Amino acid sequence: MDDFLDDGIMGAGFTLEQILTDAVTSPYLDDSYYDLLRQDMAEWEAMGQPLSEAERASHEALILQENWLLDRRAYEKWLHLYSARCLYWIPAADGLPAPEVADPQHQVTIAFDDRRRLGDRIVWLRTGVASAQIPVSHTAHLSSGFVRVPTVREGEVKIRSSFLCHEIRAGHPVQVLSGWMGHVLVEEEGSWKIGRKLVCLLDAGRAHHNLTFLV
Amino acid sequence: MTRYQSIPTGLDGLVEEGRVHRSLYTDRAIFEREMTHLFGGTWTYLAHESELPEPDDFVQRRLGLRRVIVTRDGEGRLHGLLNRCTHRGATVCRQAEGKAKRFTCPYHNWSFANSGELRSVPLPRGYGPSFDRAKLGLGKIRVESYRGFVFGTLNQSLPPLQDHYGTALSILDEWLDRWPGAEIKLRRRTHRLICNGNWKLIYDNAADGYHPGFSHASLLRMRKARYGGGVDMQWTLGDVDAGLQTVADARNGCTFIDQRAEIARYWDQAAPMPGEEAYAAQIRARYPEVAERALDVVVGSGMNLNIFPNLLVIGNQLQVIEPLDVDRTDLIWYATALEAPNLPPEVNTLRMRLQEDFPSFGEPDDLANFEECQAGLSIPEMDWVHVGRHMDTGAEYDGPRGLTTGPVSDELPMRVFWTEWLKRMQSDDEMRAL
Ligand code: FES
Ligand SMILES: [Fe+2]
Repeated sequence: MDDFLDDGIMGAGFTLEQILTDAVTSPYLDDSYYDLLRQDMAEWEAMGQPLSEAERASHEALILQENWLLDRRAYEKWLHLYSARCLYWIPAADGLPAPEVADPQHQVTIAFDDRRRLGDRIVWLRTGVASAQIPVSHTAHLSSGFVRVPTVREGEVKIRSSFLCHEIRAGHPVQVLSGWMGHVLVEEEGSWKIGRKLVCLLDAGRAHHNLTFLV
Repeated sequence: MTRYQSIPTGLDGLVEEGRVHRSLYTDRAIFEREMTHLFGGTWTYLAHESELPEPDDFVQRRLGLRRVIVTRDGEGRLHGLLNRCTHRGATVCRQAEGKAKRFTCPYHNWSFANSGELRSVPLPRGYGPSFDRAKLGLGKIRVESYRGFVFGTLNQSLPPLQDHYGTALSILDEWLDRWPGAEIKLRRRTHRLICNGNWKLIYDNAADGYHPGFSHASLLRMRKARYGGGVDMQWTLGDVDAGLQTVADARNGCTFIDQRAEIARYWDQAAPMPGEEAYAAQIRARYPEVAERALDVVVGSGMNLNIFPNLLVIGNQLQVIEPLDVDRTDLIWYATALEAPNLPPEVNTLRMRLQEDFPSFGEPDDLANFEECQAGLSIPEMDWVHVGRHMDTGAEYDGPRGLTTGPVSDELPMRVFWTEWLKRMQSDDEMRAL
């Protein structure tokens, strides 16, 4: 499969060797970062505006590229879409989780990956010996309803969308995840990166069978 | 061929010294008996008091397959109620948790106090002299609580909780007393994992010191590749029996893995957690006197204490086994926080992050293996499951507290489990609601 993943077709990416030594400490998730997440949660509630042509070309395209790389299991390239101080967060509470039930500073989540833990996750998936990923999961992401949500934070763009994600592992029934996502995009070294990704599952409060793939 | 065979003529011959029959994991008739004779047939974990701290709080749980409500009445007393209207059987409570002085059945509005008594029925003139309201309260479970852990049973002949599980509860004391004066608080969000396997595969594993170096190869390899040696769980590699971990029989089906002797410094051997450097620096700067001890209680206890049949106290988590069918189980991981006036609150931010680690990188591999056990055990021509490791090597001894103790890969815990299992399944103790 790796043959298909050269930079020319699918964009720049890391190698697994680079990820091994990428971000092996976790210095940036501090009180002010958690404050930022509470502010995000309040802002996601607002009414959004459909994207302009220019926003579609940069922001929607970035999220669709993320979906494509995940569906191709091109995790090393996928990580390249993320900023240096990024977060991938799946609350363990339904809907638009209220702060008192979903504040990650006080609650566990389904996933709360800073850049280091994302690296761990990719290396873990690539060990080839994770029984939960033998056989591996394949996904098909479908996103729609992209809107830009206003934010007071300079230099950041908030994009909300709805998603469906089908997952299949040979020998197991199809799992369907759905809900909404929030992407906070930031500019880094002259291009847009994903600074924070929030995945709110419709059934986040229920039991799941094997969420060891990336949503 | 049917998938589930009916029960053999009894349980005789299914549990032998060192091996048990596969039907114990696959037979639905056995499963149904477990749901009355084990779950509710013995003291069974229901809830933690920190989940219902105030008067009139309640949580809805399962006791085996029974839907039950654990409540606090207006005076703060705990009750266990069967969630079943005494009129025509509907559940009276449909919420997972909340606050209620009364449970009013939505079907015909019979209304019950949160201590169970029937308080009112609509159009009461429809009932004549034979209608005895005092006999129509909700079914009540016998409940007792130990240091916040609420257990229930429908077996009226069992000794009190503290006598029955005295040994396990004394080990629980050590788990609870890592920071003197601190209280455990359950945080409301959980990891809820579905396993398409029999519930006992999970209990079997909870004191299985043989599997980690193999079943958790993905976690161990990832850690080594990213961080080198030294981080957590390195003691599970190689000849674990030459190491310092032990397993013990904690009596009446309870089992215990003690890893503490392998841990020189908890904080140094922690799994990586988001925010680690930021909060370690903040804790050291703000609370220099207690900082190092506080960082140590971020990290799991190094104890796996399993309280028969459904509570697994592992690391900083409480895992609760909820059987749903003979081949389907929910495993619920309740995260715990530790609260004390002199304990930095930042400790709990790190504890939340650390308690996401194993459900992400460890438990899923075990669950996959349990499901594959279930698949293998469905083969009718292969009868036995081997549980004889260290049974006759002379490695077991009388250890701390006078408990039978063995090297960590000893399958003693499984044999302990099956002994209690058989005793409960063969018991003719009467199960009765109060
Ligand atoms: S079934 Fe509950 S009031 Fe009729
Ligand atoms: Fe395990």
